[in-house]
Amino acid sequence: MSDLDKQIEQLKRCEPLSESEVKALCLKAMEILVEESNVQRVDAPVTLCGDIHGQFYDMMELFKVGGDCPKTNYLFLGDFVDRGYYSVETFLLLLALKVRYPDRITLIRGNHESRQITQVYGFYDECLRKYGSVNVWRYCTDIFDYMSLSAVVENKIFCVHGGLSPAIITLDQIRTIDRKQEVPHDGAMCDLLWSDPEDIVDGWGLSPRGAGFLFGGSVVSSFNHTNNIDYIARAHQLVMEGYKWMFDSQIVTVWSAPNYCYRCGNVASILELDENLNKEFRVFEAAQQDSRGPPAKKPAPDYFL
Amino acid sequence: METEVDKEILKSAGAELLPNGRKGLRIHDWEIETIRGTILTSLAHEQWEEKLKTSHLPEMVFGENALVLKHLGSKTKIHFNAFDALAGWKQEGLPPVEVPAAAKWKFRSKPSQQVILDYDYTFTTPYCGSGVVEKDQETVGEKSKTEGEGSLKWENCEEQIDLAALSLKEPILFYDEVVLYEDELADNGVSLLTVKVRVMPSSWFLLLRFWLRVDGVLMRLRETRMHYVFGKGETPTVLRESCWRETTFKSLSAKGYPVDLAVYSDPGPISQRLPVIKQITQKLKIPHKV
Repeated sequence: MSDLDKQIEQLKRCEPLSESEVKALCLKAMEILVEESNVQRVDAPVTLCGDIHGQFYDMMELFKVGGDCPKTNYLFLGDFVDRGYYSVETFLLLLALKVRYPDRITLIRGNHESRQITQVYGFYDECLRKYGSVNVWRYCTDIFDYMSLSAVVENKIFCVHGGLSPAIITLDQIRTIDRKQEVPHDGAMCDLLWSDPEDIVDGWGLSPRGAGFLFGGSVVSSFNHTNNIDYIARAHQLVMEGYKWMFDSQIVTVWSAPNYCYRCGNVASILELDENLNKEFRVFEAAQQDSRGPPAKKPAPDYFL
Repeated sequence: METEVDKEILKSAGAELLPNGRKGLRIHDWEIETIRGTILTSLAHEQWEEKLKTSHLPEMVFGENALVLKHLGSKTKIHFNAFDALAGWKQEGLPPVEVPAAAKWKFRSKPSQQVILDYDYTFTTPYCGSGVVEKDQETVGEKSKTEGEGSLKWENCEEQIDLAALSLKEPILFYDEVVLYEDELADNGVSLLTVKVRVMPSSWFLLLRFWLRVDGVLMRLRETRMHYVFGKGETPTVLRESCWRETTFKSLSAKGYPVDLAVYSDPGPISQRLPVIKQITQKLKIPHKV
């Protein structure tokens, strides 16, 4: 068994790698990711997965339902880290699979694959807690900069973490983005990772936060028509039922973190596409509490005032 | 969040756990219960939007979650739920708060037909609990619906919640915390409404907390505490203190406090840094019988 196979076995038991192993793994991953296009081409059959957010044991449920990699070809739509308890193990397992089976798993970048966001929402603290230094966080966030921004399955299904951008009309415009950088606060790259579809606008909307685009049905129609796309598959937003179609099946949200944040009670889903692009959503629930280790402990009553 | 309590301690306090897997207890003619469910389904989400006349709700609305405190003798019911809290949000209707990136976005070339949404995405609510005096079934049948339930009569007062008594480490017979709603502000901070309760042999105490942090912009903490001492005097009372605090990151930094977001993940330890902008104390008389 090669070192990499051993590492994959170890990570599947939710045991993190050593700092030097992470460094070596990231270097290898970088060589692979740097070659990928901003719109990575993916062949069917393939299984699409949405946000995971460090919910390692729930991702193991995902693999039970969807099958093991490399037998199943996977496309993950980003947001591997933050919020859950096991961002380190989750991301490293996906990255190790990527290095081992580069043609059988595609990882694209989510808005949480960023230095700034991970410092607020958990991954940074988790690395510090598990390794006693921020080196692992540095190696991983450096890798984030190399991850592709989107994918297209058989030239028919456009896959992205967030959504569309008013600066992007054609897929070729995405191909020209220089992606090897921290996620910027504005511009096309930011929009692809951050924007959301919105029922109450038809064209473009601006979030009440004053930053962040929302896009309506006519925006999706014209994008799909221009690029000869059947529909858009994206993640980024929690959906109680695991997936949600909008705008007459022109865009679907896929959410793969069941019982999000360990309390929402939602189911998750993955979207299986066969060689003819026939769709099947596989819905699954969270892992049983007893199989997911120590953080299930109940906090003692609190003498709050 | 719940915890196992020694049966003997419960018994000597005159308390009994609620039957049939319900979470909570009966003590001194009070029935105190927490209820927990999942976030709203997409269908329920739409129904709530319709009822509340809004097109936006927090990402995570725990529509079934509740804390209910019933005084059986007087049929007084104090309870906490997401729907009433969101009705309060809708009614207050604060203007939206711009995030730091908004300044840059103003200079961005705009798509030709752009709609700017302007609802209060922070879901700030003045909610401080719901309450009714429930009437008997038969009486309700005879009278019109509006008279069927009376609203609670809170009066302004000078008394204060006895924090010294609450600091004593009495055994906690029942403790729980439920989330009513939560939103991640699309990774621009947090908006969280929770209520927690603890019941001791001598009293019950609860804290409803709305916590908002818009990263780099502001923090808002709106807390309501209620305290009831069992069997005190002729007409025991529930004391209710509401305290609103708010500050901007700018003013924290001017005072020399750190503005590092990691410091502001939990509102408990830092609440004193947020200046009080509104405070009110009220009481509610609980007669022994209707």
